[in-house]
Amino acid sequence: MKRALVSLLFGFVSAFGVAANPAVIRVGVSTGASGSPATFGGAATAIAQQRGVLEAAFKPDGIRVEWVFFKGAGPAANEALASKQLDFIWQGDLAAITGKAGGLNTRILLGDSRLAPSYLVVPAKSKAASLEDLKGRKFALFKGTTQQLTFNRIAAQRGLAERDFKTINMDGATTLAALAAGDIDGVYLPVNALQLQERGVVRVIEDTRRDPLVAAHTHLLVDAAFEQRHPQLVQKLVSALVANAAWTSDEANRQQVFTGWARAGVPVSAWQRDYQPDALKQRLTPLLDPFFYAHYRDAVRFARQFGLIRKDVDVDAWIAPQYLREALKAQKLERYWTPLAADGKGAA
Amino acid sequence: MQQHRYWLGAGLLALAGAGHAAAPSNEELQKQIVALKKAVEALQQQLDQNAQASKAAPAVPAATAVAASDAAGTPATREDLQGVQADLENFKYQVQRDRDTATATSSRALNVGGTIQARAAYSSQATSTSSSTPAGVVNNRNSSFDVPTAILAFTGNLYKDYDEGRNLGYRLSAGASQQTASNNSFLNLLDAYLTYSVLPTIDPATSRLDIAFGQQLLPFGLEVPATEDLKPVILNAQFTTRLGLAQRQIGLIARGDFDPVVDYGYNYRAPLLTYAFGVVNGNGPNTSDNNSAKDWVGRLAFTVPSDYNSWWRQLTVGGSFYRGKANLFVPGTGTLVGTGDRVRYGVDVTYNHEPFGVTYEYIQGRDDTASGTTQANTRVSSIKSDSHTATFFYNFGEQFVKGFRAQGRYDDWWPKSYQPFFRYDRFDPNTDKPSDESTVYTAGLNVFFAQTTKFQLNINHTDDKAKNQSYSDFLAQFQFGF
Repeated sequence: MKRALVSLLFGFVSAFGVAANPAVIRVGVSTGASGSPATFGGAATAIAQQRGVLEAAFKPDGIRVEWVFFKGAGPAANEALASKQLDFIWQGDLAAITGKAGGLNTRILLGDSRLAPSYLVVPAKSKAASLEDLKGRKFALFKGTTQQLTFNRIAAQRGLAERDFKTINMDGATTLAALAAGDIDGVYLPVNALQLQERGVVRVIEDTRRDPLVAAHTHLLVDAAFEQRHPQLVQKLVSALVANAAWTSDEANRQQVFTGWARAGVPVSAWQRDYQPDALKQRLTPLLDPFFYAHYRDAVRFARQFGLIRKDVDVDAWIAPQYLREALKAQKLERYWTPLAADGKGAA
Repeated sequence: MQQHRYWLGAGLLALAGAGHAAAPSNEELQKQIVALKKAVEALQQQLDQNAQASKAAPAVPAATAVAASDAAGTPATREDLQGVQADLENFKYQVQRDRDTATATSSRALNVGGTIQARAAYSSQATSTSSSTPAGVVNNRNSSFDVPTAILAFTGNLYKDYDEGRNLGYRLSAGASQQTASNNSFLNLLDAYLTYSVLPTIDPATSRLDIAFGQQLLPFGLEVPATEDLKPVILNAQFTTRLGLAQRQIGLIARGDFDPVVDYGYNYRAPLLTYAFGVVNGNGPNTSDNNSAKDWVGRLAFTVPSDYNSWWRQLTVGGSFYRGKANLFVPGTGTLVGTGDRVRYGVDVTYNHEPFGVTYEYIQGRDDTASGTTQANTRVSSIKSDSHTATFFYNFGEQFVKGFRAQGRYDDWWPKSYQPFFRYDRFDPNTDKPSDESTVYTAGLNVFFAQTTKFQLNINHTDDKAKNQSYSDFLAQFQFGF
């Protein structure tokens, strides 16, 4: 009865063009969670989740924030968004692009992390010294995720393609188990490669540290229907995340940030090595600068070229920069991060 | 480095010498102080050099980094190491003991599962059954509590192909059926088959072909091959039992698909064509064939190629056939008069587009039957039957959103989901005979509230023209799996 009355009231309010606030805002995270309480690492949004930034921002409105972690990464989050089970998603570039190209009506709101190196790892006993040495060998690839795009870009730079390897589609957890068992010959991994190397399970034979064009990006996007209904809530969320990004990328909090990320399982020492010699502001920036646009345009082009999507994505129309602009202005953070030029190598 | 050792040694010697001297002169004391100063400076210089070296080479190998951090803290003693070693030995002993005494093991990978139903039923039509034994008599029953199904299943692999996924697997299941006057068997063998993946299964973008040999469900239509946990309705459609298609059969069946569309953006795989073809005894489960003729079964289904987020997603049209021979007898006797055809054809349409779904199935049957009183005057004729079954359901909740269920969490969370549905089920046992069809209308609600558990509420209204009866059943059931 109570629910029926609420529905009736909602319908009445909607009819007059003012959407009532939802009871809960659902934020999908395109990676499995670890630790207790569950969390993740490597992103400013992870610190926001740990600090309860969004919960505090929406508490005055009586809105609950629900974090949903997906073991199936970006593809699983896309599936949930298509089924109207999410409002926002934190995810990597390729999953968002495949979702958008497949008809998901989303808008990118702000960047999160960028220039994260990928490490080419092989089992500890492997004699391989380069990607070329792994031609024809078993290579793990989590298809539909940023990892696939990174791999294809690196391979293309060297005149190689997926077909030159025996690629096996595996999720993150399966890949780690297969590596330990020696069932695969190589894989590109993010920071957890360093953790495995410390344990002596793998050898890192290459990384993408010097190549900003192949490094992975993550961002936060919103379901366009939610954005249309609740633009003021979107603005509030973006503002809270920008303030959190400023805190997270402050060098004074470097140790706290790494310690927070380490709660998800990758030790502080691995994060320290992964971030050396980068400043936090270089890697953790919400900016939608020329580099961000160029990276996503390039990613769309590659995704089409590699047959990962069948339709184009208009990146300029996809990104909604107005919320970020407003948040930076209101918090006087316009000059806090340095925007990068399209090639990612110098200031814009 | 040599120089540092020299000054350190000199300093220590100076201190040692001072200990033996009875009354050192001022000059000697001055010398000792100078020697000590140099020793301290040398040590300071060494520390500075170490600090600079560590700054210049920050990405030290893991082992070195650990050693350095240990050097800064308290070093482990021999006793510490012996303590750890003792703990490790105790742990190993405990694990081995638990494995020997308190662990179920199997010679190959084994997954134990099961499905159980606990039901309360009320019917507006009373049931009465007479029997020669008291246990078989049913006296004007309107309501009953039942456990209609309890299935225990074992699955696993016999060979796992890590390179290409051409795995060899098995399934064994047994089910407890209700005891009646004519059936006192308690546990029956249901599935017992071996499967082999002929084509690689590693890459979702390639076609599949699996072969199953043994006792198994038939790949006919939609409802027949569906397992209990996937069926929205409590009672099976009438045709499944009345045309004998729900029975498991023993034989060899190949199942596969061709040209799959894979949308990696959603981890969605939809083959353009799925097919199955096989040969079976046709005499049901747990028994040998009763003639030499084998029965053939096949199915071909076409799924509209689409991305996950398309309106065309999961729109499938399929066709199935079953052709076999059944022994014919003089009615009411065991006198064999030969074999007759047993033929089933079916077409089906599915539009399973989360959050809603529609299915429709049309089945036509033809069975040869014998009439007469003796072998000599027996005549064989065909009886045609047909069935229409349509189901509509709508899901509120995330139960059927695969990625949403696979969340990374450390609690026993599961999304609560609600699935109202309606089914129309009409079966005409003889199309040439008027007014003998039976129609069952079912409205119901499934409530999913734990990972493998649902509560089902069904209201059936049956219009049985052959018996000239019209009545309603109310069923409430928990179905749980493990």
